[in-house]
Amino acid sequence: MSQQPVALRFVSSNRRVREDRRFVAGHGRYVADVVLDGMLHVALVPSQHPAAKILAIDTSAALKMPGVVHALTGDDLVRAVDPLMNGLDTPKVRRFPLAVGQVRYAGEWVVAVVAETRAQAEDAAEKVRVTYEPLPYVIDGEEAATDASPKVHPEHGTNVLLDKTFVWGDVEKHFAESPRHLSFRVVWGRNSTVPIETFGVVARWDAWREMLEVWASIQMPKYPDQIARALRIAANNVRVHQDVDVGGSYGVKRGIKQTVLVSHLSRILNRPVRLIEDRLENMRAGDAHGPERTFDVEVAFNDDGIVKSMKMKALDNVGAYAGRSPFQLGKPVGAIVGPYKIESVQYRAIAVLSNKAAQEAVRGFGQSPTNYAIEAAIDKVAAAVGLDRIEIRRRNFIRSHEFPYLIPSGTHYDSGDYHTVVSKVLASADYEALVKERDALRASGMMAGIGIAACLEPSGGNSSFEPLLNEKNTTSTWMDSCRINIDGLGFVTVTIHTTSAGQGHETLAATVVGEVLEIDPDLIRIVRPDSLASLPSNSPVGSRMAIMLGGACYHAAEKLKTKLKRIGAHQFGLSADNVVYAQGGVSDPRSNKTLSWAELVNIGHRQFHALPAGMEPGLETTHVMQVPTGTKLPENGRVQMYPCHSFEFHLVLLTFDPEIAKPEIRKYVIGHDCGVVINPHIVKGMTLGGIAHGIGAALLEEFSYDSEGQLLTQSFMDYLLPSSHEVPNVEIVHHCTPSPFTVFGQKGSGESGYLGSPAAISGAINDAVSPLGISFSRLPIRIAAISDAIAAAKNKQAEDYA
Amino acid sequence: MKLEIGGSETIPASVDALWVALNDPAVLTRCIPGCRSMTEMAPDAYKVEMQLRVAAVGGSFEGEISLHDKEAPKVCGIKVSGAGSLGHGNGTARFEIEPDGEDSKLIYKGTGEIGGLVAGVGQRILSSVSKHLIGRFFTALRKEFEQPVHGAAE
Repeated sequence: MSQQPVALRFVSSNRRVREDRRFVAGHGRYVADVVLDGMLHVALVPSQHPAAKILAIDTSAALKMPGVVHALTGDDLVRAVDPLMNGLDTPKVRRFPLAVGQVRYAGEWVVAVVAETRAQAEDAAEKVRVTYEPLPYVIDGEEAATDASPKVHPEHGTNVLLDKTFVWGDVEKHFAESPRHLSFRVVWGRNSTVPIETFGVVARWDAWREMLEVWASIQMPKYPDQIARALRIAANNVRVHQDVDVGGSYGVKRGIKQTVLVSHLSRILNRPVRLIEDRLENMRAGDAHGPERTFDVEVAFNDDGIVKSMKMKALDNVGAYAGRSPFQLGKPVGAIVGPYKIESVQYRAIAVLSNKAAQEAVRGFGQSPTNYAIEAAIDKVAAAVGLDRIEIRRRNFIRSHEFPYLIPSGTHYDSGDYHTVVSKVLASADYEALVKERDALRASGMMAGIGIAACLEPSGGNSSFEPLLNEKNTTSTWMDSCRINIDGLGFVTVTIHTTSAGQGHETLAATVVGEVLEIDPDLIRIVRPDSLASLPSNSPVGSRMAIMLGGACYHAAEKLKTKLKRIGAHQFGLSADNVVYAQGGVSDPRSNKTLSWAELVNIGHRQFHALPAGMEPGLETTHVMQVPTGTKLPENGRVQMYPCHSFEFHLVLLTFDPEIAKPEIRKYVIGHDCGVVINPHIVKGMTLGGIAHGIGAALLEEFSYDSEGQLLTQSFMDYLLPSSHEVPNVEIVHHCTPSPFTVFGQKGSGESGYLGSPAAISGAINDAVSPLGISFSRLPIRIAAISDAIAAAKNKQAEDYA
Repeated sequence: MKLEIGGSETIPASVDALWVALNDPAVLTRCIPGCRSMTEMAPDAYKVEMQLRVAAVGGSFEGEISLHDKEAPKVCGIKVSGAGSLGHGNGTARFEIEPDGEDSKLIYKGTGEIGGLVAGVGQRILSSVSKHLIGRFFTALRKEFEQPVHGAAE
């Protein structure tokens, strides 16, 4: 791993995000813009029961409707496709794009109706008659984990998908030695990311070329492989077009069941087929739901507030199917102690099936809920020992000289300077004044509180949680690639090999390659070949692309620079080590003779006789990047999870009227250290968006079900999103502690803001209501919950007084 | 979600006339909001087709209604179940008719369970919508007696 010693020209500089021009001007090319001749449209018939046997499906009336071409049932589909990928070793938890024999959640897709237009398909879907025999169901995760509960997948025998306990270090000894303990429960409600664009996919099976062409709004790792496996075709019969802009994702654009469904339909109907979810389909049964987790936490500490050990039980209600979602209990293992020197941890991870929509990946992949639980513990310890919440964090933080720091679960944190970030934030926010403002608000009859959260963003996206939670999985790489070509006229084209969901990868790749080759990034063309022409790459998950795509681009550019230097050195009769590369030219330092870019390109492309012996003609290089630090499989439940760890420190002042209870955020400051920033605008956008997302998770957003298993939040009337009314002006305080493991010292920032804001806002509300002796232990903390709790507490105070 | 209904209404009709009306599919088709057709499948068992709009969602609904524990002309039990693009529902109700001077008093009480789209999208207003629909039913029923229409629906 190298550190760039020279001054950076383009990296970290204030340069525009090149993608933004087309997005802002309305010239993105999204999946809905892919219109093919003869394209058919799909609408879906959803289950109205949380669990029921499908006794009969009558599609005859639907098939008579205008424009209707086909109506597909699960029984038809299951004969032609294999089950969708399941991350865990639970082969009897089978999932198909349509319900087969039984429905397992309200909203699950039962029949796909295909017509000439979407409107015709929707009208016809209303005519499909499904006869159900309702079955017992279970909605609550803890109840689902009991033996007596109805089984979501009876063949599996239990609703428990995963129940694994890790013990890292002398937990029992540390608990026995510690003078003080406390335990508590906190609950993270089922929320998600809500992209403006729902999932959409167009598939065209070309029988004569034996090729399935796919255009999709996708952010799914191993997407072409998963399609090929489910459809039982060779992977090189699947061509995923990656030059499709994705209108937001942050994890949820998983799309595999939708893709397998329309691909199958295209294959049997011999026409292109499109499915673009409407909001109802998306919210009920698209890949819209994220983690829903109950934490039982116990910590052992001393009178100075030093936390020695922690026991954490995390029970996650993953909904009706497995997929990759249980792995969201695994990623937090890589930062299970947060930024703190907790010496030992017992972690029990339980994933439970229920009759809710299947959970999918969401920004942070389980880290934000875990950070919320850790921060709740630190706040409670502070209260228990009577310490300031900032002081207790300072006491427990890992010191800047202790990096790389090995945490009990086997990950080395790369670098950090948490104390400095905190000091900078306190200075910037004028913490003393903030405390005075809170107290003045309280004196005026308002509720007011300060929230504090410190947390890490593991980044770099290795997939070590897969082998950690599933011993049959031996994945130890999660590579990303870059190819650079200088054409015969000297223009540079860089290929990247995934879709992007707004992360600015074109800017990233151009900036890095421009930096290394010392050419203007704006002159570099970035292209995304289709999946068959792509080098091995994974999707932009796990806050990894600055590190992985940035790293791949860096190394490919370095290889290309070396080739140019060798070509130049050969002309000068020197070794490559003895020439100087600057701004695209190679010079002989003795004679000051320089070969320009154009001359080097001419030799590379046209003068084989002038190339060094054994060199291939042309100017093209590739690099397939392994995740830094990703060297081995887990051993004894310990593994190096992610290579890099960005740090964030949140400081919030909020206030609300005790009766109306609508929180107003008066001040929001975040200290952010993601190492060397490649593009400041992208990082700023990620951080601000992440905080807005966290405000939703803390105060507003939840996919809630009633006791009869019906989803109550199927539209934006009920699933509330933060708007400009709720999202405050956010002040970002930057700090840079370079990572020693990456090419420029960069770390990830794709999940920044979101990973700590729910904890900080929850802490602020709890600080605000602390004078009443109450607290909230469940997110989101809705307005009604606050006002009800305050009223109850005041009534109780009045009764006690009386 | 669970739904409970109940109440009493005075109808300008004799107990016997009201009983006959409430057992006449033609009358019910006219009175039940959104009811498109009501077909007798067997004695005291009907198939109904409805078209309804609740909050942001509208759609069709097909169901079955059966009458049971009838004690003419006073007491009747009703069982309803059905499904459609709006969702599914089932419920039971019971009504009693008492003389009220020259008029009759209809006392009704029932519980239902509703699922699917209508439960999710319309849940916040479902109980007020159901009250509204019941109100429309009785308004129409009263009209039947104010301007008597004899025989089957045209």
